[in-house]
Amino acid sequence: MRRFFAFIVITCIVTLAASAQEGGVIVYSYPANAGPINPHMYSPNQMYAQEMVYEPLVSLGDDGRIHPCLAESWEVSDDGLVYIFHLRRDVRFSDGAVFDAHVASRNFDHILANRARHAWLELANVITAHEAVDEFTFRLTLTTPYYPTLEDLSLPRPFRFLSPNAFPDDGITRDGIKTPVGTGPWQVAAMRLGEYDRFVPNDHYWGKKPVPAGVLVKVIPDPVSRALALQTGEIDLVLGQGQIGFDTFAAMRADPAYATGVSDTVGTMAVAINSARAPTDDLRVRQAIQHMVDKDALIGGVFLGAQPRADFLFAPSVPYADIGLKPYGYDLEQAGRLLDDAGWRLEPGQTVRMRDGAPLVIDYCFVGNDAAQKAAAEVLQGMAARVGMLLNLVGEEEDSYYRRQKDGNFGMIVNPTWGPPFEPHAMLGSMRSASHADYQAQLGLPMKADLDAAITRVMRSVDETERAALYRDILTTLHDQAIYLPLHYAALLSVHRPDRLEGVHFGPGKSKYPFEDFQKKD
Amino acid sequence: MLRYILIRLALLIPILLGVSLVVFILLRTGENDPALSYLRLSNIPPTDHALAEARTALGLDLPLPEQYLNWLGRAVRLDFGISYVTGAPVTRHLLHYLPNTLYLAAVSLVLTVVLSLPLGIIGAVWKNRWPDHLTRALAYIGVSTPSFWLGFVLILVFSVKLGWLPSMGIGGWRYVLLPALSVALMSMCINMRLIRGSMLEQMHSRPVLYAKIRGVMPGRILGGHVLRNSLIPVVTALGMHIGEILGGAVVAEVVFSWPGVGRYAVSAIMNRDFPVMQCFILMMTLIFVLCNLLTDILYAFIDPRIHLETSNNA
Repeated sequence: MRRFFAFIVITCIVTLAASAQEGGVIVYSYPANAGPINPHMYSPNQMYAQEMVYEPLVSLGDDGRIHPCLAESWEVSDDGLVYIFHLRRDVRFSDGAVFDAHVASRNFDHILANRARHAWLELANVITAHEAVDEFTFRLTLTTPYYPTLEDLSLPRPFRFLSPNAFPDDGITRDGIKTPVGTGPWQVAAMRLGEYDRFVPNDHYWGKKPVPAGVLVKVIPDPVSRALALQTGEIDLVLGQGQIGFDTFAAMRADPAYATGVSDTVGTMAVAINSARAPTDDLRVRQAIQHMVDKDALIGGVFLGAQPRADFLFAPSVPYADIGLKPYGYDLEQAGRLLDDAGWRLEPGQTVRMRDGAPLVIDYCFVGNDAAQKAAAEVLQGMAARVGMLLNLVGEEEDSYYRRQKDGNFGMIVNPTWGPPFEPHAMLGSMRSASHADYQAQLGLPMKADLDAAITRVMRSVDETERAALYRDILTTLHDQAIYLPLHYAALLSVHRPDRLEGVHFGPGKSKYPFEDFQKKD
Repeated sequence: MLRYILIRLALLIPILLGVSLVVFILLRTGENDPALSYLRLSNIPPTDHALAEARTALGLDLPLPEQYLNWLGRAVRLDFGISYVTGAPVTRHLLHYLPNTLYLAAVSLVLTVVLSLPLGIIGAVWKNRWPDHLTRALAYIGVSTPSFWLGFVLILVFSVKLGWLPSMGIGGWRYVLLPALSVALMSMCINMRLIRGSMLEQMHSRPVLYAKIRGVMPGRILGGHVLRNSLIPVVTALGMHIGEILGGAVVAEVVFSWPGVGRYAVSAIMNRDFPVMQCFILMMTLIFVLCNLLTDILYAFIDPRIHLETSNNA
């Protein structure tokens, strides 16, 4: 009899424990599976999953600064060429393997064996040597000083660390890994193609243990279906960029049953204006474009107030970007005057300005099936018409859009920035590459060569004062030359039901979702 | 009969070849550039050097006929290449998703038949009375409702408001009901009206008249004469509905987050994932043509006259 009661009690405890654990699983959704979650590769590996499973030597904090992570401290040589990292001694991978300098070095072997693939990231190009100085000291040597080394190391990929047991038997991690095993707070428990990915806490995690018992990420491609799944309780929260429509977000924001959030800026939705092509090769036309746009009306009408207005290419919170530039205000008269000065006259009875018998027409290029881009384009077209400018909307498939970016075949083109921690250094660095719209848009500037040289110099600078001065010059030139029309700062959106989940907040960067801090309510 | 089936199966080869050629050419005309798509989806900056490398790696630097023959050579071995998005073999993923789509299509087809048959009979038996008006109204609504919109309405009513059924995903029988209903409604309404019309035609035929004169019971006339003879056009329509249902499944899979080939294909089309698009279109062509063949064979079983005619012709 006693055994029977013991059995009943144990069964109850096990059942309760199981249900408590089940109740603690956060259900999230994403448009696609997390992929193989290879720390050293790109698509189809989803960045949010890479952030959950793997860690960098140093990480980006909520304050936008670099903080210790797997390296608890570091030293940089005076010439900026050598970085010595002192690694934490208590780090294990989720499979129990120890993380040390030899494992770090092996990961760098694999990353740099695929250097061409990472060439977009300047750090990958300038690392000349890496070695384990001793068990917990790791040294990186560069060919040339590169000040954003720590920022690049904090990125979600490729400088993150895979367990020594998960490396492929042949070849390098570029060709695949055995299993996704990292040192991060989460480990992969199950993956089902087209259905879900399930993560559970990493028992060996050195940091604060995750609060929830797990994260189940369901595959939901459609934003409306995702919002409905939130309403039915099949998912617990929506979090990220483009995960929910602005109209749905606005409706849920007005509903007290939901808690909503808008993150700090994670980039800028800007439009690049081509200085190498008429009529925008004239500075006055580019300046007129800046003045003709009523951004508040645009944001209110298209983004329903869910995205903050942008006056500059980079938000003032971006390092080196808060330099006190004067925004171009909304001023139709000023826009008209500038166009008049440029010789574009609006004749009585006409709706489009003319010069030498030619109308003022500008091709405005965007991704045609992106609803927000399309709506914004239509609003801008209406605003341009008020000053006698005809924006010819060219909404195309992504391939054509990217070809235009690459070839410079545009008058204006939607050109979002990359967000932290890529800003300002990586984004500015890419402006020197001909395959980017930025390069093509700036090509007509008389100071383009100087601009590129200044960008190269700022990357190599080891003097903080010189660096700040160079950034000031570069950003001032771009602003004064009116090469970009910043529309709004991009922000992540979140929606959850406060009766089901608490502690929801945004992480640093746009791909770090801090599930470990969220708590599911019973 | 066997010979007829074999000939029809043999005809599949030129059909599939033709479709594959047309699809191959269409995807490579206009603004489409598979190399650019590949780079974009792999997050590689599309420099001229990277584009040239990608073209060589993907065999896109070869003349078009040679590209087609290379692709065809692999396709006959069921190797449709690697997806630009997932980096995984296309065939493996499509075969993973296919059973789910066939399951959804099969349930939709069963719903179409099971619901349209009694409603069609009701419409015919109570012609121009309120049950007929009711089914007519339902038909109007059914054929005019886009399936994606219907899908969202079904979710709103049965999942959000009533909480009876799940709104997304795949699992037990409860998961398939809403997507299947959203896919089936249009076919069901068309079929219902077709059964009604066909039955009314048969009701006025001579054999039915003679049966009535012979004093055969009305129920027996309806089941044994009217309904059976009405089924031939219905079977034809059902053959066509399979295509409609598979097309509808593509939309429903996105709305209901159903892990099927349709959703995989929509993602591929949005991303310009050429290998997946080519494989998907070929696979759908094969299924569609096989369904038509199955319909023809079913005719022969339902109506022996067709059997004789086709056998003689063959």
